[in-house]
Parts: sequence; structure tokens; C-alpha cells
Amino acid sequence: MLPSYLTLAAILFCIGLYGALAKRNAIIVLLSLELMLNAVNLNLIAFSKYGVVPSLTGQIFSVFTITVAAAEAAVAVAVLIALFRARGTVDVEHMNAMRR
Amino acid sequence: MFNVEVNGPFVAFFVFAAIMIGGAVLMISLEKVVHMVVSMAAVFLGLAGMYVLLDAEFAAFVQVLIYAGAVSILMVFGIMMTKHNAAKEPVRPLHETLAAVGALSLFGLLFYAIRQTDIPETGAAGAGGAPGAVTDNTLAIGELLYTGYIVPFELLSVLLTVAFIGAISLAKKEAE
Amino acid sequence: MDFYTKSAWVIPLIPLAAFLALTALGRNYRKAGVIIGTFAALASFAMSVLVLVERFGQDAVDYNYSFDWIRISGYTLEIGFEVTNLTALMLIVVTFVALLVNVYSAGYMKNDERITVFYGYISLFTFSMLGLVLSDNMLSLYIFWELVGVCSFLLVGFWYTKPAAKAAAKKAFIVTRIGDAALLIGILLLFWYMPDHALGFTMIESVFEGQGGIIATGITTVIALLIFLGAVGKSGQFPLHVWLPDAMEGPTPISALIHAATMVAAGVYLLARTFPIFEASLFASDVVAYVGGFTALFAATIALAQNDLKRVLAYSTISQLGYMFMAIGLGSWTGGIFHLFTHAFFKALLFLAAGSVIHAVHTQNIQEMGGLHARMRITTATFAVGALALAGIPPLAGFWSKDAIMAVALEQNLFLFAVGLAAALCTALYMTRVFVLVFLGKPKTGSEGGLESPTVRAGGAGGAKESPRTMTLPLVVLALAAIAAGFVETPWNGWLGGWLSGEEAVAHVSPAAIIGSIAVAAAGIYLGWRFYGSDRTRPAVVKEAAPWLARLLERKYYVDEAYEFVFVRGLRALGTLLGAFDTYIIGGLVKLAGSAAGISGKMALRLQNGSIGTYSLAAVIGMVVLAAAIIGRRLLS
Repeated sequence: MLPSYLTLAAILFCIGLYGALAKRNAIIVLLSLELMLNAVNLNLIAFSKYGVVPSLTGQIFSVFTITVAAAEAAVAVAVLIALFRARGTVDVEHMNAMRR
Repeated sequence: MFNVEVNGPFVAFFVFAAIMIGGAVLMISLEKVVHMVVSMAAVFLGLAGMYVLLDAEFAAFVQVLIYAGAVSILMVFGIMMTKHNAAKEPVRPLHETLAAVGALSLFGLLFYAIRQTDIPETGAAGAGGAPGAVTDNTLAIGELLYTGYIVPFELLSVLLTVAFIGAISLAKKEAE
Repeated sequence: MDFYTKSAWVIPLIPLAAFLALTALGRNYRKAGVIIGTFAALASFAMSVLVLVERFGQDAVDYNYSFDWIRISGYTLEIGFEVTNLTALMLIVVTFVALLVNVYSAGYMKNDERITVFYGYISLFTFSMLGLVLSDNMLSLYIFWELVGVCSFLLVGFWYTKPAAKAAAKKAFIVTRIGDAALLIGILLLFWYMPDHALGFTMIESVFEGQGGIIATGITTVIALLIFLGAVGKSGQFPLHVWLPDAMEGPTPISALIHAATMVAAGVYLLARTFPIFEASLFASDVVAYVGGFTALFAATIALAQNDLKRVLAYSTISQLGYMFMAIGLGSWTGGIFHLFTHAFFKALLFLAAGSVIHAVHTQNIQEMGGLHARMRITTATFAVGALALAGIPPLAGFWSKDAIMAVALEQNLFLFAVGLAAALCTALYMTRVFVLVFLGKPKTGSEGGLESPTVRAGGAGGAKESPRTMTLPLVVLALAAIAAGFVETPWNGWLGGWLSGEEAVAHVSPAAIIGSIAVAAAGIYLGWRFYGSDRTRPAVVKEAAPWLARLLERKYYVDEAYEFVFVRGLRALGTLLGAFDTYIIGGLVKLAGSAAGISGKMALRLQNGSIGTYSLAAVIGMVVLAAAIIGRRLLS
């Protein structure tokens, strides 16, 4: 079963990657990032059951990842709101202050 | 490799997988932002089901609570507080094509790696025992968290606090 | 007993300290230049006198102190100083003239706003020249040789706002460079062929005097000729003489110090220091003698037709340096040095007197001058002394030294003796011409404008007035030196030659030479008087009879034009060709590379649009390519 889970995780990850790269709305980009993190979590938990050394560590790790992702989502949304207040847009194309 | 017997878990896997992939594709292709978030919630729920299939009940609960609940709601709030004029997005064909090519070739590589890897048989259980062997998954995880992983756990709580304060101070309207 | 000799290294350092101090002070301290520069020169002069006094001692031996400068495995380059009778004499000449020029410049440069810089340069030059004199090996001599060249460049171009001065400075530097390059090659050859790669003069002397066949005759000749070419450049001998007349664009004190008394004589000094090399090569000696003799006559004839006071003196300097080279080529380096010694005094005197005249009348054209004797008595008298000394009238200094050379020439080479006599005739002629035109007669109509210029009119009814005392004092001192300096060696008492060479002093009374010299000088003066003094129409007669000759002399034998035609045009054409090559081929390649870089930069700039999306896309693609490469390698192996 492991390859199926891994393949599914790979599909999710790549869809998330495409969304993170191609989408212009920052909220959607954030969502795509969450999708990628979820794909990683799926891998972790799949390995936790079907890996060479089955162990609960994988689940613990996924819990940690979820926590970090939640913190990241909170901060990111806060940043986006602040940015929107300053710039009036959440289009990533307009976030090009690094050029200057 | 895929010629396994069709049983309950197998069917459930395919159902959840279909939900997740469909939700993800919808998330990418839908027009309105709120619809995207809703389809994303479907992906999160499908993933929770996957966790149950993988004997990770606690993770499944956390997934439902945090992702399907908190993160989705947070995103909805984010959408509400910002303006979205999705209709007049100028297309960037080159950029999107390149992104698609990149993502697809990454998938190709990953798929090739997964197919090529000779996955050995599951051996003896490691720390905390095999997920299927323990009777109470939540208890086992709780024990591990408060014994072997106490330091990362505490660090994580600090991180959450910092993120919480930071988010507030970032989103707060600047004092005049 | 030899305390001062051992501390002779201080002598050049005093002017160097003065230069550094003046440079540090800046140009606002106008008085500082005069005071510091003059006192530094005075201190150096005093030290030199003390050294000279010690050299007169019975047991005075050559003193050489050197230390290891560069150590390369198996070879050590030493650097140091050496005091011999010759260097002691040169020290006196340099410091004496430098001191007087310092004093003189206080008056001459009084109103120049860069007077402090001027004194700084003079101090730097004095340092370099003294260093050159004290050097104990070829390499450090070469370093100072270049340094005096730089100082000459700086001082010729001192009034760099004048285009002529700028051009003259460049010309002086570039033309002497030719000689300097030859000298450098000569030194390198010497370094290569000398046993132990020694470059010290003592070693050179012992190697070449030994005649042990250590160095093949052919190589010796080549080395000697290269060294001579260096001297030719520095001392303005034919065919590299063209820079010296143009160098007269510099301030007159500089002409007296650098381009009459010291730097141009460095070539003679160099030949005297390396004389054993020339002794070892007959051919090189002949070349030196003939080039010297030819230059003596050649420059003297040009001087006949020049109208610029300083240029006449410059050509006269070239001519006199030719005499010195002739003497060295004929095997009498002491004769050359003797003439250098006396020439330094009377030519510096002539230049300073000319400067005094120019200072008063504000023109350099002798045709516009005249009748100055009534108003500038001291200048007139001292100029007369200098002119007579130059013309070779006994008992002035120039007669004795020229006679020493003529006596050698009479013994060795009758042809060169004749050439020398002809040059002496021209010398007397042109000096008489200059003296008559400048000081005698009445102020000419053409000069009215010059004399009536506001600065001069302030002097009173006479127009031009005598120069201030700071300027006349050096004139008087130099005039005394020009009178007395010749007595250190007379035909009956060859004291200087014996002292310099360390051999027994020999008397070389040669009645023919003495009589010939006097007769020629007298004839020259008489002719000059007849031509320019009594009846002023005569020069016109000559001009009508042989216009080509007058034209030829006025245009300096068209040497400049020939250079212009052959070298400047040729080089310019070559330069244009190479420039085209550079512009279109090299430049094209460079432009191609540049535009390629520019285009790729512009393309890269589009990537660098500041958008995170683009960056992360690039990162992903890069990562994918990397992973694909790793997997592909795994597949291939």
C-alpha cells in the first residue's frame, strides 16, 4: 500500500506546487502551501505505519508539522492583511519590492 | 504492485483519494476564492480519513480540528478582509506553463523514484510501537509527547505563542 | 680625518628633507620656499666643501659604503655611496650652482604664485643629482638618472599653462627616454656579462682595466655604445639634441641649473665613471669622439643664426658638451671633467645673466634688445666675463679647459682638432653677436614696445633697470668662479687631472694648441665685431649672398623637421593604423562582448523582477533540473 500513499502524496504536493507558483492571489498561494504541507504529513503518517520501522514518531512529527503550519497560516494571514492595508492588493505580482 | 485484493480499506483509500485529488484540482481551477477554500476543506477532510486508514486517529482529529476548522476559517477571514477582483487577472502564459512543467516534471521524478524504490517488508516496531499495535492511539501519542518529545513540544508552544502575538501585532491597525 | 667623507650620504638627504618639508607646507608659505630651499642648498654646499677639503688630504682613499639591498638566492644587490675625487668635485659643482640658483630664484621667481612648489622641485632635483653623483653602482645611478629626468620634466613644464612649455616638457621627457632606454639595456647587458653580476663602479673598473678578456670585445663595444646613447640623450648630443633648446621654455634659473651646469653634464659624468669600458673598446671611443666633435661644430653653427637669447645659450651648451664628449672619446676623461667643471660656472653665469636681462626687458628676442650696458652694468659685466670665458680668451676658465681638450685632440686626431677649432671660431662669433646685439648699440625701434611696458617704465627714464641684489649677487660670485676656476689645471700644471685620476700630474704644454685656440677665439670676436658691431648691414649681405645657408642655420639644419617627417609622421601613421585596428577589431570584439553581456544582463533583469513567484519558479525549475541530473547520472552508470 505504501507506494499508493506516496503517489497520492506526490500528486497532492505537485498540485500544491503548481498552485503556489502559478496563482496570483496570495490567499490561494497560502492554501497551496498548506496543501503541500499536508502532502508531507500524509507521507509521514504513511511511513509511520508502512515504513521499515513502524513507529508513532511519524505521527508525532505530523502533529508538530500541523502546529507549525497553523502558526504559519496565522502569521501569513496577518501579514497579508497588513500588506493589503498598505498596498490595497494581495496580488503576488505586485509584491515586487525586492527589485528595489 | 497495484494488483491487491479489493477489500474495505482499499475501497476507502480510493474514495478518499478521489475526494482529495478532486478537491485539489478544483482548488486550482475554480474562479471564486471562497469556492477554492471550500474545495480545500474537502481535501483536508479527505486527508483526515486517510489518517484514520493509517491507524492515526489522533492525527486525524487534529487534522479536522486545525485544518478543516481553524485554518479554513482563518482563510475565509483573510478573504473577507481583503479585496478580490479575480475576474481581471491578466494571464501569464509563459509563467503558468513553466510552473506546470516544473510541477509535472517533479511529479515525474517522484513517481519514478517511488516506482524504482524497492520498499522492504515492514520490520519490528520502533519507538512507541507500531501504530496498528497500540490499543489507544491518543494515549500512546500523549505519553510520547510528554516523555521523549517534551523539549520540542515546549518549544512548539513557545512558537505558537510568538506566532499568536506576532499575528495580532501585525494585523492590528497602526496607532495614529 | 675622513668623518665628512663617511657622512657624505647626508648631502643629498638635506635637499630631500627640504623638498618634503616644502611639499608638506603647501604653496601658501611663500617665504618658506626661499628660506628652506636656500638653507638646504647651503648646508649641502658646506658639507661638500668639507668633503672636498678632506679629499685634499695626502692619504685620502676612495671611500665606499654599501649595504645589501636585494638578496636573491646566490646574488646580492648592494646599494651605497662612493666618494672619490671625481664625486667630490661633482658635489661641489652641483651644490655650488644649486645654492646660487636658489638665491637667484628668490628674485627671479618673486612674483610667481607657485614659488614654493618651484623651490620644492629644485630641492628634489638637487637631491636626485647629488644621489646620481654619489651612486656607487649602475643601478642606483640609473634610478637617480630617471629622477633628474622627472625633475627636468616638472621644471621645464613649470609654467604649464603655456602650451609651448607643456610641449617642451613632453619633448624633453620623450627624447631623453630614448637614451634612457638604451642606458637601461646597457646596464642589463653589463649585469648579464659581469662576473658575479656586479654593477659597482669599482668592479667595472677592475674588470675592464684588467683586460683579462673576461668580456668579449664585441659585447664591450655594444655596452659602451648603449651607455653612450644614454649619455647622448641626457646631454643633448646629436641626434638627440632637439629637446634641449625647447627646454628653454622653463624658468631661466632652471636652464642654468639643470640644462647648463648639472643634469646635462650627467652624461659626461656617466662616461667618466664608466670610462674603463670605453677604454676597452676603441670603436666606441671613436664614436664618442666623433659624435662629440660633430655636435660641437653642428650646434655652434646653429647658434649663429638663432634670435632667442636662451636658445643661443642652449645650442652653445650642446656644443660645449660636444667638446667634453670629444675629450672623453679621445681618452682624456679628466679633460672632459675639467671642461664640465669650468663650463658649469660660466654657462650658469651666462644663463643667469640672460635671465636677468629677460627679467628686465620681458623679451627673449635679441633683435629687439640693445644698449642695455648703460642700465644694467653688473649684468653686462658679468655676461661679458661669461661670454669671454666661453669664447676661450685667456686667462678665463673656458680657455684653460678648452685648451686641455684641444691639446689632446692635437696629439690624437688632427681632424677633430680642426673641427674643434672651427667650433671655437663659431663660439666666439655667436657670443660676440649676442653680446653686441643685447648690450651694445642703441635700443632698437622694435624694442620700444618691450621697454615701454608698464612694469619696466616704473624703473625710470632708462626703461630697463638692474635686477635686484639677490639676482646680481650670484652673477658676481659666478663671474669670479668663471675667472678663477680654470687655474686648477693649466698646461704647465696638470693638477686637476692628476688629482682626479690619481696619477702623476703631467704638464702638457702644447704651443700649437694654445696659439690656435687664442687665434681662433680672437678671430671669432673680431669677425663678430665687424659683422654686428661696426656695420650692421653685413649680416644682410651674407643673407643675400647665401640665403640657403642662413635659412639652413635658422631652421637648425631642419633636424626637427626631419624628425617630424620621419618619426612623428611615420609613428603617427602607424599609430593611426594600429588605432584603426584597435577601434574596429579589438574594439569590435570588446563591444561584442560588452553588448553580449548587456543583452544577457537585460534578459537576466527580466528574471530579476522582484516578484516572489518568479523567484520560486526559478528555484523549483532549478531543483527539478538538479534532481533530474542526479537521477540521470544514476541511470547512466
